[in-house]
Amino acid sequence: MSILQKIKNTVRSRSIHVSYVDVGSCNGCDIEVLACLAPRYDIEQYGIYVHNNPREADVLLVIGSVTPQWVDKLREIWDKIPEPKVAVAIGNCPISGCVYARRGTLTSPPVEKYIPIAAQVPGCPPRPTEILNAILSVAPLIFKDYEEKQP
Amino acid sequence: MRSIVYYVREFLRPEWIRKFFFAKTAPLETPSYFKGYPALTGNECTACLSCMMICPAPNAIAVLRTRDGWEPEIYPGHCIRCGLCVEACPEGVLSSGRILDVTRRDGTAFWSWYHLQVDDNLCMRCGNCCVSCPVNREIDPQLAGSGTSASDEVIMRVEGGRVRILHEEKCTGCKTCETQCPNRAIRVARMVEGVQIGEAET
Ligand code: SF4
Ligand code: SF4
Ligand code: SF4
Ligand code: SF4
Repeated sequence: MSILQKIKNTVRSRSIHVSYVDVGSCNGCDIEVLACLAPRYDIEQYGIYVHNNPREADVLLVIGSVTPQWVDKLREIWDKIPEPKVAVAIGNCPISGCVYARRGTLTSPPVEKYIPIAAQVPGCPPRPTEILNAILSVAPLIFKDYEEKQP
Repeated sequence: MRSIVYYVREFLRPEWIRKFFFAKTAPLETPSYFKGYPALTGNECTACLSCMMICPAPNAIAVLRTRDGWEPEIYPGHCIRCGLCVEACPEGVLSSGRILDVTRRDGTAFWSWYHLQVDDNLCMRCGNCCVSCPVNREIDPQLAGSGTSASDEVIMRVEGGRVRILHEEKCTGCKTCETQCPNRAIRVARMVEGVQIGEAET
């Protein structure tokens, strides 16, 4: 492993930038993501920063059961994130549509249909600890030795 | 000046410096009272389906046939962890957080019945519902093909040119009447109410 890769690994493990997007949910999961930022859970002590700018992000948290207006925009947001990147589905909505998965609702879950999802955090809403654990466990899998893993 | 000196002294305290650089919030632990996904307690399931009927989330719970009996299965990603199935189960098959302890302590339970409603504008008084109802046939084997009956004990009968519901409480919720009605005039709804059983009664 090259020195450069080692430096990159170290830096990436302590500097995970997060952006989140709500593509149509009840806002419960947004509030749990917000709770991660608060001192009770203090997401920054793990080296995770929330900027909410896709161009700076490494991790995209997708919340909500995709409404038609979001279908093309979600793809755009995903394309704007520089490599290496990873998307995490937060809550039941992006996985199954949760309580919106009924006839006559304007949602088309799952979110996997539109962008690749690396991890799912089920729950309605999930606990902040579950969100944190998901980010912390999925980030090293994708970011560690990213350049060396490329074909 | 005094306050500056005070602050500098304060910030140079080893304890303060240690806290500033190394403080961590409490580890990521899930408290024991957290209402997680309902787990099986090992009690035997009688396949009464109360849990499935009360579940507010689509496709969250299914009571499945196992080799020796029945067993409810919860699907994460669908289940919203509301705990209603835990409360509704009469056998205590499921458990989650403190729900079972609290319901036992407070003596709360769900009371359910079936509500029958006939839309007189849609109903054509054919009597199919009264005839097809298995409970009706049991009570009054002589129930006429037109749905009229001499018995006052039947759930419903055609009376005075319309369907009259007499004993809603005997309905078992089988919905045979609903499927046999040509006009979708009769509707069966399951009603649920939370009740508290007084200490004296328990
Ligand atoms: S906890 Fe609530 S949502 Fe989950 S299976 Fe039970 S009733 Fe359904
Ligand atoms: S788990 Fe409980 S409520 Fe559900 S079918 Fe079995 S006995 Fe009935
Ligand atoms: S639901 Fe079944 S038991 Fe109830 S009235 Fe209809 S047929 Fe009779
Ligand atoms: S089956 Fe339907 S239309 Fe016929 S009597 Fe009953 S409610 Fe009326």
